[in-house]
Amino acid sequence: MAGLMMDDLKEITYQGKQDYLISLEVRQNRADCLSIIGLAREVAAYYGLVCKLPLNKLIIPIKKGSGVEVKALKHVKRALAFEITGVKNKKSLAWLKEFLALYDINSVNLLVDLSNYIMILTGYPSHLLDKDKITGKFCWAVNQDFKEFITLDKTKVKLLGKEIILKDDKTILGLAGIIGGKTAEIDLNSQNIIVEMAIYDRVAVRRDSRSLKIVTEASIRLEKDLSPEGLDSAMNLLISLILKETGGKIKARPFSFYPTKQPSLKIKLDSRLISVFAGVEISQSKTVSILKDLRFKVLKSGQSLEVVPPLDRMDIGICEDVIEEVIRIFGFEKIPSNQAPAFAIAKQMTSTTIKFSEKTRDILATIGFDEILSWPLTKKEINSETNYLDWDNISTQNSVNEEFPDLRQSIAPSLLFQFKEYKKRNIGKIKLFEIGRVFGKKGSNYLEQESLGILIEPEKEKAILELKKAVETLLLSLGFNEISYLSSITKPKIANPFSCWDIQVKGETVGIIYKIYKSLGFAEINISKMSNLAKNFNLNPAVELIHKLVILDANVELNNSKDVTPLLKSLQKEIGKNLWSLEVIDIFSLKDRKRYTIKASYVDLSDKEAKEMHSKVFNL
Amino acid sequence: MSETNLKLIENELGKDIAAVKTVADLDQVFYKYLGNRGQIKQLFKEMKDLPEDKRKEIGVNINGLQKKIIDLIDSKKKELLTGHLAKTMEAEAETLSFDLPKIGHLHPITQTIRMLNKVFTEMGYSIVDGPEIETNEYNFTRLNVPADHPAMDMQDTIYIKEPNLLLRTQTSSVESRIMAGNKPPMKLVCPGRVYRNEKVNKSNHFIFHHYQGVAILEKVSLKDLFGTLNLLFKRMYGPKIIVRYRNKYYPEVEPGVGADMQCFNCRGRGCPLCKGVGWIEMGGAGIIHPNVMKMAGIDSKKFMGFAFGLGLDRWVMAKYNITDIRTLLGGNLAYKYYENENTL
Repeated sequence: MAGLMMDDLKEITYQGKQDYLISLEVRQNRADCLSIIGLAREVAAYYGLVCKLPLNKLIIPIKKGSGVEVKALKHVKRALAFEITGVKNKKSLAWLKEFLALYDINSVNLLVDLSNYIMILTGYPSHLLDKDKITGKFCWAVNQDFKEFITLDKTKVKLLGKEIILKDDKTILGLAGIIGGKTAEIDLNSQNIIVEMAIYDRVAVRRDSRSLKIVTEASIRLEKDLSPEGLDSAMNLLISLILKETGGKIKARPFSFYPTKQPSLKIKLDSRLISVFAGVEISQSKTVSILKDLRFKVLKSGQSLEVVPPLDRMDIGICEDVIEEVIRIFGFEKIPSNQAPAFAIAKQMTSTTIKFSEKTRDILATIGFDEILSWPLTKKEINSETNYLDWDNISTQNSVNEEFPDLRQSIAPSLLFQFKEYKKRNIGKIKLFEIGRVFGKKGSNYLEQESLGILIEPEKEKAILELKKAVETLLLSLGFNEISYLSSITKPKIANPFSCWDIQVKGETVGIIYKIYKSLGFAEINISKMSNLAKNFNLNPAVELIHKLVILDANVELNNSKDVTPLLKSLQKEIGKNLWSLEVIDIFSLKDRKRYTIKASYVDLSDKEAKEMHSKVFNL
Repeated sequence: MSETNLKLIENELGKDIAAVKTVADLDQVFYKYLGNRGQIKQLFKEMKDLPEDKRKEIGVNINGLQKKIIDLIDSKKKELLTGHLAKTMEAEAETLSFDLPKIGHLHPITQTIRMLNKVFTEMGYSIVDGPEIETNEYNFTRLNVPADHPAMDMQDTIYIKEPNLLLRTQTSSVESRIMAGNKPPMKLVCPGRVYRNEKVNKSNHFIFHHYQGVAILEKVSLKDLFGTLNLLFKRMYGPKIIVRYRNKYYPEVEPGVGADMQCFNCRGRGCPLCKGVGWIEMGGAGIIHPNVMKMAGIDSKKFMGFAFGLGLDRWVMAKYNITDIRTLLGGNLAYKYYENENTL
């Protein structure tokens, strides 16, 4: 719980004894923990122990060598290279083979195994090359010339250009931070070798590893933030082991490249903040003790602390990082978790669109529709068949599925896909809906809206008739009562052109309803637009009704060509707050006119007042 | 007219009532005896011919017979109607049982989001959402994801064919938008769809669902965060569930924690679901990083905040026993209509 999640725990047999294999999940910013030394430091800090590290047996003064060069200046943070002559390589040692086997690393030969051993021990990958197979100068460079590369395991890799590589005057020797090449491979006959260790721009290592699809133990470590300061001790350990196990001599003038030295940080911290962050009291003395266990130098103690983190802890940069370190070692389990906080009230910001979507889901489920969710990715051809809005197609650069690179412009493709899937499985009585985003581009603007799609395979009635009932039930339940249909201006190609209408609410187009194939009905409604229209709604029109309503009739005659709706609207406006309801209860056809009987119910008016109002608005 | 006549009428009435099978038959009996031209009316008419001293006695007897007829007809009517009603109800019941209206269902993801929303709205949180096409700024920069962070690679994020536009990889992008446009205090949850450049297989999908939560107030602590998340997990999975927190790295928060719940399948003993470790990772959380507060224009000396992010798809899979993540969005999800289930 201090930071390394146990990912797996297996009981195993090792050297004839029962043992446990623990897999740990190392935090992305803790490259130092991808090593035995890093883990040992963690355990020591947690238990307050002293961590004994392997002694560096020799200290080699490093100067600038002449046979090595760094040309990839932007991508190499630090590099060390040693030339050792007269080594006697051989098959690996038994203990070394067993050690590497625990980490799923195959034994190759003694030299290569020692290099891998140091990587596991310190976290720093190294690369050994047979000097006798190298032509001219060895260097780190950005690839410009090489189109392909054969790796140590004989895999031919097509290069894309701009990779960070190791090369000599003639050929490519390795992909920096990822894998070595076959050309200068170490074998049992190798006598003169180059040992290199380097820290790179981690993004470049990750980019090369991902684009070439080669992930190795080295690339996993070097694509993270490793401290350049730890390179010396790791190299010293490796060199001392090589000299000890294979003989050989260091050729003079090892190579070192370290243009920008890693700075040592001093961090100021108010120690009281640690308890504020944790929510429980962590004493000052406990804080200092934890920091010392974590190898921090505590320069100033008391309330205002000043600390220096160890150089290998590249994840520590600000005082919040230090607070985290103290709390994690103090123990998250010591922070009570059974008390829900009593927080201050905050402003309500739930959007109308969300409320509308939720209500829409409830209404549609109640009237028999099943909700589905689907991919919003489709292809241009499908968009061109189903789009009905005035916007252009949006494509992705790198869709997961190459067949579907575009963002859907309508919910129709998703519901049709689901319909076909259900049909394949003999499901009948299909009534579906989905609420999700649709996307389009207008000029330089990238637009998206929350959209509702409804699809119906009718049982008895005609598709459009049944779907129209559902749409109207939905809209009325949401509080919209001025619903009308107009023949669509833009008809999607997939729609039956004789059965395709725009859905209008309060005179504004909010969606479309159309027939697909012979019998399917589809409707799409712009939820974002609906919620905007509803902003002025009083969705809870409760009143205290003290007096009875006054109900009066009136007859109005209109020419056959005239619609009654505008008259009703003007009456509604004129009567205003005293109107309870207005209904056309009878229509009688005369020669060239129609007589409408209109029933008006008045509220908050006496009989006399209502009659006066009625006479006035109907010109009686 | 004599008492014998009355007796004869009464006997005849008994036979007529016994023969009645329908309400219409009974109406005929009513007209025969009690109608305007019925036998009782006839008897009353004939009374005027009787000697005065007999009129009173015969009158009383006729009235008694009339009452008897009315009672017999009423009782027969009740009997007939009761039988008729029972038959009608039976017929209607048959009709009802074979033509049930269809009730629709909400998607398991929607149902899960609603359960979570309920917990948080009760605690005064608002539910918010934002665009799925996002900018680098709101999806990464304002969340303290460094420009060289691996998450920003093409291999991890789906980009639009336009510089700096992408499909949001986390609903934290909504958090960064709301933080930039509003002043604290604020308590928000943002459920929504997110996209990653992942190969689709049984356990991974390029689209999944995030549930992000943020509380920015004058003072918050890890204790408040743990209390909030514990309440959530217990409401979702029951009061006996055990939750633990461990240190984890997320650029957006510092300190950062991972929240694990003891495996509900094996109760911590280890099983294939929890890969033998007894715990299931539920999400990430932490105290909002000062850089995130600064970029939103919030003074981190005056306000503190916590944030948490939960992946919903695995919760839903476990709850609904769905073994393939592709089922959730890929066409294989259907609803059984004859299960006794709670749809909402």
